[in-house]
Amino acid sequence: MSVAEAPPAQATRALGRRRARREFDSPRFLWLFLGLFYLWLFAPILVVALFSFNAQNSLQVFSGFSLRWYDAFFSDPGLRSSLVASLEISLVATLVGTVLGTTLALGLVRARSRIAPTANVLMLIPLVTPEIVAGVSALLLFTQVGLQLSLTTIVLAQITFSISYVTVVVRARLTSLNREVEQAAMDLGATRLQTLRLVTLPALWPAIIAAGLLVFALTFDDFVLSFFTTGVSPQPLPVRIYSAIRFGIKPTINAVGTFMLVISMLLVALALVLPWLMGRRGSSIATVMGEETGGRR
Amino acid sequence: MNRFTRRDALRGAALGAAALGLSGCGMNRFNPSEAEAERPISAKVDGDLYYFNYSEYMDPGLIKGFEKRYGVRVIESNFDSMQGMLAKLNAGNRYDVIFPTAEWVDKLHKGNRLRRIDHSQLRNYQQVTSFTDYFNDPWYDPESAHTVPYAVYTTGICWRADKLGDKLTGSWRDLWNEEAKGKIYVLDDFQEALGMANLLNGFDLNTTDEAELEKTKQTLIGQKPLLRGYSADTITTMSSGNAWIEHMWNGDVVNVRNQVDSPENYRYETCNEGIPVGSDTFAIPTNARHPGTAMLFIDWLLDPEHAAMNIEYCGYPMPNDGGYEAFAGLAKDEPSINVTVEQLREGDQFRSLPRDDLTLWNETWTAVKAA
Amino acid sequence: MREGRYWSIFLIPGGIWLALFFAVPLGITIAISFGITDDLGNPVYAWNPENYSRVFDPVFLPVLIRSVGYALVATAVCLVIGYPVAYTVARHGGRFRHLLILAVVLPFFVNYLVRTYAWVTLLADDGLINGLLGTMGITESGVAWLNTPFAVVGGLAYGYMAFMILPVYAALDRMDPSLIEAGKDLYGSPAATFFNVTLPTTFQGVLAGCVLVFLPAVGDFVSAQLLGGPGTYMVGNLIQQQFHDAQNWPFGAALTVVMMAFLLIWMVFYLRSAARAADEGVA
Repeated sequence: MSVAEAPPAQATRALGRRRARREFDSPRFLWLFLGLFYLWLFAPILVVALFSFNAQNSLQVFSGFSLRWYDAFFSDPGLRSSLVASLEISLVATLVGTVLGTTLALGLVRARSRIAPTANVLMLIPLVTPEIVAGVSALLLFTQVGLQLSLTTIVLAQITFSISYVTVVVRARLTSLNREVEQAAMDLGATRLQTLRLVTLPALWPAIIAAGLLVFALTFDDFVLSFFTTGVSPQPLPVRIYSAIRFGIKPTINAVGTFMLVISMLLVALALVLPWLMGRRGSSIATVMGEETGGRR
Repeated sequence: MNRFTRRDALRGAALGAAALGLSGCGMNRFNPSEAEAERPISAKVDGDLYYFNYSEYMDPGLIKGFEKRYGVRVIESNFDSMQGMLAKLNAGNRYDVIFPTAEWVDKLHKGNRLRRIDHSQLRNYQQVTSFTDYFNDPWYDPESAHTVPYAVYTTGICWRADKLGDKLTGSWRDLWNEEAKGKIYVLDDFQEALGMANLLNGFDLNTTDEAELEKTKQTLIGQKPLLRGYSADTITTMSSGNAWIEHMWNGDVVNVRNQVDSPENYRYETCNEGIPVGSDTFAIPTNARHPGTAMLFIDWLLDPEHAAMNIEYCGYPMPNDGGYEAFAGLAKDEPSINVTVEQLREGDQFRSLPRDDLTLWNETWTAVKAA
Repeated sequence: MREGRYWSIFLIPGGIWLALFFAVPLGITIAISFGITDDLGNPVYAWNPENYSRVFDPVFLPVLIRSVGYALVATAVCLVIGYPVAYTVARHGGRFRHLLILAVVLPFFVNYLVRTYAWVTLLADDGLINGLLGTMGITESGVAWLNTPFAVVGGLAYGYMAFMILPVYAALDRMDPSLIEAGKDLYGSPAATFFNVTLPTTFQGVLAGCVLVFLPAVGDFVSAQLLGGPGTYMVGNLIQQQFHDAQNWPFGAALTVVMMAFLLIWMVFYLRSAARAADEGVA
């Protein structure tokens, strides 16, 4: 669809909208497909949210709006402590996992060492390890070593399986960084550490934040790993939900699920806003997706 | 740079071998002595209560009331099966009060895993003894030295009278009802499922005879084409209309009838080949940190008013005076739901099996599920 | 050279952690897989390779094959649905494409169990979907959606969809749009352009998506447990049963090791492909 083919009156139009309407890949069909997809994707979410407000104790029949299940959730000390436990676990796992994952990414991309390929494989395997394998082996480790199961053991397991996600996300960004800026800094007398702190890390920041958020969401939602490594202190929320689900759940669980969704949404909104606040152009997602700021688009 | 070469495979193998070597660090086993288990407990507050039970099996209002009354916190964990409970106990978790079923009590107290409970310290214990003397010396816990009964239940069949009529045959064969093909569920519990087929085939509920178990296995595999699924989520499957006939516990039937619009359509029967009767108990693990608080908690639940409240909530009969009356009220429209003392005495109860037999049962069940 | 060594230090914290908390547990799992169980369900070290021969017992073969089958179908479903979605957002999303992609990922912040359970509610015989079909006059008594392989595969595809869409989207987003223009001029038909230009260019993204969906899906047990029927038993359920109900950790560990070995083969294949692509400068 070159400019020469377009009718002369519109030749001066930007390539955007006009082209889209005459695209061969019939965007109308694609948009319909996308719409249906979102419907399918969100249907259960809407059901969960809707029934969390059900006046009646039923997941089949909706009879009116009520906040009773949220009340039940927040006034249930067990569920509340589970929520706090989940938040604590996710927070610690995110912080430690992000640090470890970022350093690993830096090492994998920039090191010239013979152990780098092995480290790379070691980092990739957790990504494709089915959760049940992860949970079982973590449990075996802790019981064999004699470590009492507790929130700590859950955190240790969660960190292990978060590192890989962080490394992959940060590495994607890292490989597209412009080394010349760092080179310039060092030529100007900065030490490697200073360069890292003042040039590299700030450039990586959106990816690190995105990775951190991803890890938070994953660990907050994680069930299988926690299930195997949980101790007597409050079980994390997803484990409580699983125990309830085996025997049928009350709408309280829907309230819990909806609440978790809202928290996650707030965090994501935070992620989008944070780079802005820090004076960067482009959102975290864009940078993570490999677009350089001020790049192709 | 990131090429995966043979050298990396070798390195990986070396790492794995090192890991294997490190792992020879010995097993973590919890082996309490009888003396530890028999240490007396005095019922007083000695810390927060770590509570481990099925979910939705106790009125949260009662838990809150207990917290207020004694100024302690109750930290709740849930298991979804006895094996799950044992797995966590084996992993070294220290709970103060647990809720094992009878045959698991048998296994646990023989391993000295349960503390001795001095009934004289429980003010409300006479609620149990005045109701029945069955628990004075039950088979699973001589002299009830280590447990206090919590709930009793029967396993039977719940069906939709509006779809299948008022009466079924009264036999476990009803779970093979052709009219309800594709709408039948069996309990996702190896004991209950194998036990049911054992009874149907005329065997002992707890048989460990290989030939008999083989026949039971074939019976269950033969049932699969008629089945919708194996489920412990019996309340939802029944009330959502997914099931017309379901292998179910009587307490869950109470819950279903409470939730649906027309409870009279949901009927329950116990079967003439044999009725599995179960009882859940309170128990205090030997490694409990706060057994005193646990004793107070048990006493709290035995109070007749509290027992009645609990039954209203979870729908299962409690074998004490206050509880039983309340349950009789709930069951008046469908008397088959009730559990009588005679059934307790004469009904079939699951026994704990020694290791090899348990393995045989598990393997049979695995084969049924995988077929 | 010195710089290369400097950065090697960075490999240490993450590397040691992974070695300690990932590699060692795997080693323990392998060790336990040769063990036996005691009376109270504790695993005991021993030399019992029968666990492995039991894995290949003909009774379990259908379970293993079924798991791979369901995972493959789920991956295909994710690809067939996910690719157009990623394509639409990447190529036509314009200003809103970041929000659109975010909207794809958002549902995954709701707990996986709760989401899957919501499908149980929706697809129940007297549930909303059947109710809708009835009102629209399509069916009388509703369709039995639940407890079927269809429901399980649907649950798997639903659960892992984001893992397909994100890498494909990333690849599409990075692609130079002028390539498609050139392709249109060259090949004429939309289909030909797609298969000759778009798909090959985004192949690494597609491959990554397939790997990220297929591998975890094989070991999944939640979908089969909540949405499946008596004939949909997967290897994940089998493993979970060994660790949970059957208290046969050694057998469960043996199953785990075999499953991991199987999956690792695919991962190695993927890594080689990705490395080759990186060398050729395609990805």
